[in-house]
Amino acid sequence: MGENNEQAYVELKNINKHFKDFHASKDVNISIPKGRLVALLGPSGSGKTTILRMIAGLEQPDSGEIIIDGRVVNNVPGSERGIGFVFQNYALFRYMTVYDNIAFGLRVKKVPENEIKDRVMELLSLISCEGLEKRYPSELSGGQRQRVAFARALAPNPQILLLDEPFAAIDAKVRLELRTWLREMITKLHITSIFVTHDQDEAIEVADDIIVTNLGRVEQAGTPRELYSDPATPFVARFIGNSIPVKNFDRFNFFEKKNNSVTAIVRPEFVSVFKKGENLRYPKSSEEAVVEDIIFRGSNLEIRVRLHDNLLSSVRSINEPAISVGEKVDVFIYRLFVIDGDDISLVSNRTLNAESVVI
Amino acid sequence: MKIRKNNGLLKWVLIIISFIFLAVFLILPLIYIVVSALREGFSAYIASITDEYAVKATLLTLQVTVIAVIVNTIFGIAAAWCLTKFAFKGKKVISTFIDLPVTVSPIIAGLIYVLTFGRQGPIYSILDGWGIQIIFAVPGIVLATIFVTFPFISRELIPVLTAQGTDEEEAAALMGATTLRIFTKVTLPHIKWALLYGAVLCTARAMGEFGAVSVLSGHLRGKTNTLPLYIELLYQGYDFTGAFAASSLLVIMAVIILILRLILEKRGKKELDICK
Repeated sequence: MGENNEQAYVELKNINKHFKDFHASKDVNISIPKGRLVALLGPSGSGKTTILRMIAGLEQPDSGEIIIDGRVVNNVPGSERGIGFVFQNYALFRYMTVYDNIAFGLRVKKVPENEIKDRVMELLSLISCEGLEKRYPSELSGGQRQRVAFARALAPNPQILLLDEPFAAIDAKVRLELRTWLREMITKLHITSIFVTHDQDEAIEVADDIIVTNLGRVEQAGTPRELYSDPATPFVARFIGNSIPVKNFDRFNFFEKKNNSVTAIVRPEFVSVFKKGENLRYPKSSEEAVVEDIIFRGSNLEIRVRLHDNLLSSVRSINEPAISVGEKVDVFIYRLFVIDGDDISLVSNRTLNAESVVI
Repeated sequence: MKIRKNNGLLKWVLIIISFIFLAVFLILPLIYIVVSALREGFSAYIASITDEYAVKATLLTLQVTVIAVIVNTIFGIAAAWCLTKFAFKGKKVISTFIDLPVTVSPIIAGLIYVLTFGRQGPIYSILDGWGIQIIFAVPGIVLATIFVTFPFISRELIPVLTAQGTDEEEAAALMGATTLRIFTKVTLPHIKWALLYGAVLCTARAMGEFGAVSVLSGHLRGKTNTLPLYIELLYQGYDFTGAFAASSLLVIMAVIILILRLILEKRGKKELDICK
């Protein structure tokens, strides 16, 4: 995202923000091209909601510039920034019907009542909530409330849609449906959208680009694939994916110490577990380990093995020969992320390199 | 819900204790008021309550109450709004000071106004120059009543506004709504019942206020005597029929307020259930 040359539509430059003694945003630089669906991802307290609220004009940065469509908007009130905002708990007006909720922004703009009616009906059909216009928010399900909040934010035709933890208040099953729905909806409308989440699965599944925040800083911005395969900082490597820290990777076969660092991160997909007697692709570089735990994950199994005092995880298909706890197995590690202070690098098993040289 | 066995006995003991307590401290005295008021016959009762001074005292009480409730409604909304929707320095101090009238004895409330607006007070000469008299006049009574009743409305509103949070207001503001529109369309519907309930409590307290008003009124019969002061005056003059007759007026007003309160509580609760 930062690397490509697409014109930035929403831009934050050197933004700093304090809440009393708490430094909520530290030199934040963000650049979002038009029409993208971007996730602000980070643990709670990492400053992601603060960034969203500053874009919306609900908070003022202490220093730095917020630029929307080439215009510095620091002193422009939120209502004039062309923004639709979906609050975490939706903040639907509870004493107004669904119709009045969606119509609110249009009435403020003094749009004629017949045009308002057309727009509200159009939005209701967009969110598949026709017939609910006379209901009050308390009479809606969680998913319906979210969609009404979405429609209310869209009603005045904003250029940017901001969503604060849009799925947090919904139960797990509906959440999955809504994710897909929201992604389709935003893609269809082609509206620049930024949403805040602490759930990496949500960010990876829904967003075109992800901005990872931690302790008020932007750690990395990029596509989900980039973050996954090429984390810029140890934090991103730990935060994205199912990352397992390893204390002494130099003891693994065919991995060498790098700049005196022996700590690394291994993901389950970097590890293969083979039953004794199974055909090994790399027999020389595999190591023997003992299965400590097997967790049934429905579509697959998570196998936990103990290797050189490290508990590693691996995913195994349920179609492969069964493995039981306590069994001795062969383990092959393809690659791992080596952490050296603030640096991180991907290191592959030397056997793989050797093989590619031979071929 | 049954939390233990054999709670029948405990239940009845508690009911009987409550009933005896209410009977001795509330119902008996109320009956006694009615009986005493009617002791010398119904016509004497009518004569007492239609007495020129009784009528004037009642009207003054109503006038003072209405002014106090209006002023405190405005102040209460303003205070509750600023304490719940904004963050600023000194918020805790204001919040504490609002409760002051509840903790301070009404007599002291009366005295501080006498000291502030009386002859030895700093503002007296200025006000006197404009021909405004506060002490021993109706404005003093109104001031004292406002002081004594001012926490009632804000204290009802603050919990409701706190529970609501600021999200809905922020949502409305982001869509460009003016402060007035946000207040009338978003905030007011939410606090409507609490506001009315607070106003009812405020009215009840304002009608009955004795201490602070007593210090400031000067007890001019027909001019600055409110109903409670008038009752005391009759009582001190051994006119028991008159005193109890006037008391019965105050009781009737209180009962009306009580019924209003019940209705409001019920309706407010119903709406709260709908709009959770």
